Amino acid sequence: MPFSTISTPEAKPVANYKMATRMEGGRLLYISGQVAWDAAGNIVGKGDMRAQARQVFENLRGVLRAAGGDLANLMKITTYITKLEDFPAVAQARSEVFQGELPASTLIVVKSLFHPDFLIEVEGTAAV
Amino acid sequence: MDRRDILAERPLESGRGFMPAVSVNPSRLLFTAGLTGRNPDGKLVAGGMGPQARRTFERLQGVLSRAETRFDNVIKQLVYVTDLDAYNASGRAERAKFFGSRPASTGLVVRRLADPAMLIEVELVVDLGGSAGGKPLLEKYNAENHGGEFYQGVIVNGGRLLYLAGQVANNPDGSVAGVGDWRRQAEKVYENIGHVLRAAGATPASIVKETTWVLSIESWGPARTPVRRAFYTGDFPASTLVEIPGLARPEFLVEIEVIAAIA
Repeated sequence: MPFSTISTPEAKPVANYKMATRMEGGRLLYISGQVAWDAAGNIVGKGDMRAQARQVFENLRGVLRAAGGDLANLMKITTYITKLEDFPAVAQARSEVFQGELPASTLIVVKSLFHPDFLIEVEGTAAV
Repeated sequence: MDRRDILAERPLESGRGFMPAVSVNPSRLLFTAGLTGRNPDGKLVAGGMGPQARRTFERLQGVLSRAETRFDNVIKQLVYVTDLDAYNASGRAERAKFFGSRPASTGLVVRRLADPAMLIEVELVVDLGGSAGGKPLLEKYNAENHGGEFYQGVIVNGGRLLYLAGQVANNPDGSVAGVGDWRRQAEKVYENIGHVLRAAGATPASIVKETTWVLSIESWGPARTPVRRAFYTGDFPASTLVEIPGLARPEFLVEIEVIAAIA
């Protein structure tokens, strides 16, 4: 991968993500916040966080593949959810999708996303 | 310029004026602070979302001009609004007047921005292209005399970008430092950022962009000022401050993520 991983014993992640990543080459890819849309533009899993999270990570993977990479190329993701109670379902979906360690990560609970039916949005930065 | 639009044909994003993803060869990049609809005197422009959005993009245009670039070269935008209906009614159309090309985009509805009357804040990442050779790694500048403790634009000339996870007030043993204590959490978060930067060969001066997510801007302001000043010692990054209803654990009052660059 065209980036390296930074870790330090003084500051530790609170879950299975990386503390920091440093780009060492390749192209820098900025990915829009992905929501639970299918290819036709329908919302997948209305009211169902597990289903939405799975769709979001599949969409993220699709964008990465179109750029010549895959989930392993992600340096950083930011996950925005609308209800903290949904976090366990998100964590479950993330560990299903990501083989091994996650990228550097931020999790934020926002007031809402850009459509009231969206429960989760994930944006990413990658080196490909 | 060596910009590539990814999945450009996907109709979902094109209808809304953005792109699923954009990749660049990161030779020279500009990171802007989150800007809002303030007038030169610091007061928010009157008239609600439409005028605030127009003013926000005019100010961003000023920041872009100083770097001799324009909206067509924006690769990523982050739009924070506090009122989605107002944005859809009058903000989105103002934005469209400024953008020709489509950047990657994230849009969020947050609880509050720096001023309770602010309805919109926008930050950008811009591909400046050209050669980084001979230029300093970081060029920090202001397009306006704003008096705040941040720069409106930071240019990264070459080097390697460093993306930190959002830092919270957690101890190495997993416990939360300063439960209910804003000042202690401010100290711990900046301490953790410092540790990670050091491990990566960077310093606070290496920070390009800072995004601060807090549960209360009211409580955060006085707690953070001395801690943040001591951390940056005058060498501030571009920054954004947003109030949101929650973080990953209920004890966390603040989360700060930074992007840095090293040679």
